[in-house]
Amino acid sequence: MSFLEVNNIDVYYGDVQVIFDLTLHVDEGEVVSIIGGNGAGKSTLLRTISGLISPERGQILFEGVPIHRSPPEVIVGRGIVQVPEGRRLFTLMSVRDNLIVGAYNQRADREKERTLEEVSSLFPRLRERESQLAMTLSGGEQQMVAIGRGLMARPKLLMLDEPSLGLAPLLMKNIFQTVRKIADQGTTVVLVEQDVKNSLSLSDRAYILEHGRTVMEGPAEELLENPHVKVAYLGL
Amino acid sequence: MTRQQFQALSLGLVAAVVLALPLFVRSATYLHILILLYLYAYLTTSWNLVGGFAGVLPLGHATFVGIGAYTSTILSLQYGVTPWIGMLAGGLLSVFVGVLIGLPTFKMRGAYFALATIAFAEGIRVMVENIDQLGPLKINGPRGLQIPPLNFGLANFMFPGKEPYYYIIVTMLAAVLAFTYFISRSKLGYYLSAGGEEPEAAMALGVNVARCKLIAMAMSSFLTALAGTFWAQFTLYIHPKSVISLDLSFEIAFIALIGGRGSIGGPILGAIVLRPVSDICRIYFGDKLPGLHLIIFGVVLILVMIFLPRGLQEPFSGLYNKVADRLTSTVPRQE
Repeated sequence: MSFLEVNNIDVYYGDVQVIFDLTLHVDEGEVVSIIGGNGAGKSTLLRTISGLISPERGQILFEGVPIHRSPPEVIVGRGIVQVPEGRRLFTLMSVRDNLIVGAYNQRADREKERTLEEVSSLFPRLRERESQLAMTLSGGEQQMVAIGRGLMARPKLLMLDEPSLGLAPLLMKNIFQTVRKIADQGTTVVLVEQDVKNSLSLSDRAYILEHGRTVMEGPAEELLENPHVKVAYLGL
Repeated sequence: MTRQQFQALSLGLVAAVVLALPLFVRSATYLHILILLYLYAYLTTSWNLVGGFAGVLPLGHATFVGIGAYTSTILSLQYGVTPWIGMLAGGLLSVFVGVLIGLPTFKMRGAYFALATIAFAEGIRVMVENIDQLGPLKINGPRGLQIPPLNFGLANFMFPGKEPYYYIIVTMLAAVLAFTYFISRSKLGYYLSAGGEEPEAAMALGVNVARCKLIAMAMSSFLTALAGTFWAQFTLYIHPKSVISLDLSFEIAFIALIGGRGSIGGPILGAIVLRPVSDICRIYFGDKLPGLHLIIFGVVLILVMIFLPRGLQEPFSGLYNKVADRLTSTVPRQE
């Protein structure tokens, strides 16, 4: 039994099928990348695991428990937290308040102060900006808040949806290093990315999605060398 | 002077002026206008719990005013229950109806939610207009209910002069403002504004957005219903067109949007600016151009949305901060 198991799910938006018979698994402590172009179904996959939408068919198990019919707050309570694409901060709240909202579930609420300390040491920058409104931060800082806010929920499995989106190359590198650090501290990470090279280099394994189906999977180093991946995603 | 002292001082000053006002305003007409101003500030502040903090736009709050007014009036006319208890009963009934309306409608987004709340409110108004007798309860359809001014006194929530009403509504307004202030700084307040701005992100963090909205709706409908009882006891005559009208629902929303949604001071500023417009329009143009005030509100709303999207409270709180900074400049401001 894997940590997270997604078995043969079909996902629809209304009448439009977005994910077809998709199966994947994530083991505890891994960093797994989900790679694919626009419209491949990456974000939909994350939203399905988070419980924001339900699969029409198939099942999702987390630590052996089926979660595909549970509402998002139950899934977060079990330890799966998604950091949504485009950061989606609460712009009129301070940085600190944004982080506090992350600690909604009971387990996280109890350890709020300690987690806040951990997040501040991961992103010292946020400590300086603590009382500033989130809307006044730079893109890179906003991404730090988004990730920090996710960590405040004390996830066992953290799912990041394109954390490098719209960031300058230097900041991107910074974010990827942080993701690696989070994984090294024991949180399992699922990383959805368009920046294939960087995300594969920090991942253990990866799945490649095309048109809502997995077309390839394997250890990250192998995929980096794969001719199809090189042509389609690395532009080599 | 520290910032806290300055805040306490300005709050005390405002309180003193508000409490002393009836000593100088001897005209019943002006006192009446002031009471309505506070009443609308109260209604809008209650509305703000849902419409402001939770980021949705309910346009049917007159329903709860109506429930409060009718519940306490029927209980006192037919069963001799004091309106104070009727007030509480109306509030509780209103919570029930509010949650019932919220359960299906909070799933809708934006304009659809607003339209659904209008539909509920109008449905209830039409029902009340067409029911004369509901079981043992006399509702009197479109003719409404009159409260005979017989037993004056605090226990009966009925007074010959306007001053007691003035102080009651001031107390209610102060209480609801304190409550809103407390909520805006509570966890619930954070979750509400998080869910209002980015529902997906909030849900992905495990915030039960729907439940938070329902709690806000319950509180808002309870508080709104209390004002309904006040209205009934103040005017001693209620009918569907007055307490459940769409105009009332809209006026509340107008005041909130123009004053500044989701802020504590917004509803008060909105009421101060808009209520006199309403009253002047009714006094001078009520016969020739009924509804003129809503036209003016519309124009003001458009201007405010263009130039001050966060409402009139924005320049005002800016001004307040500037003055406060000037007077408390020795101490660095605490953010």
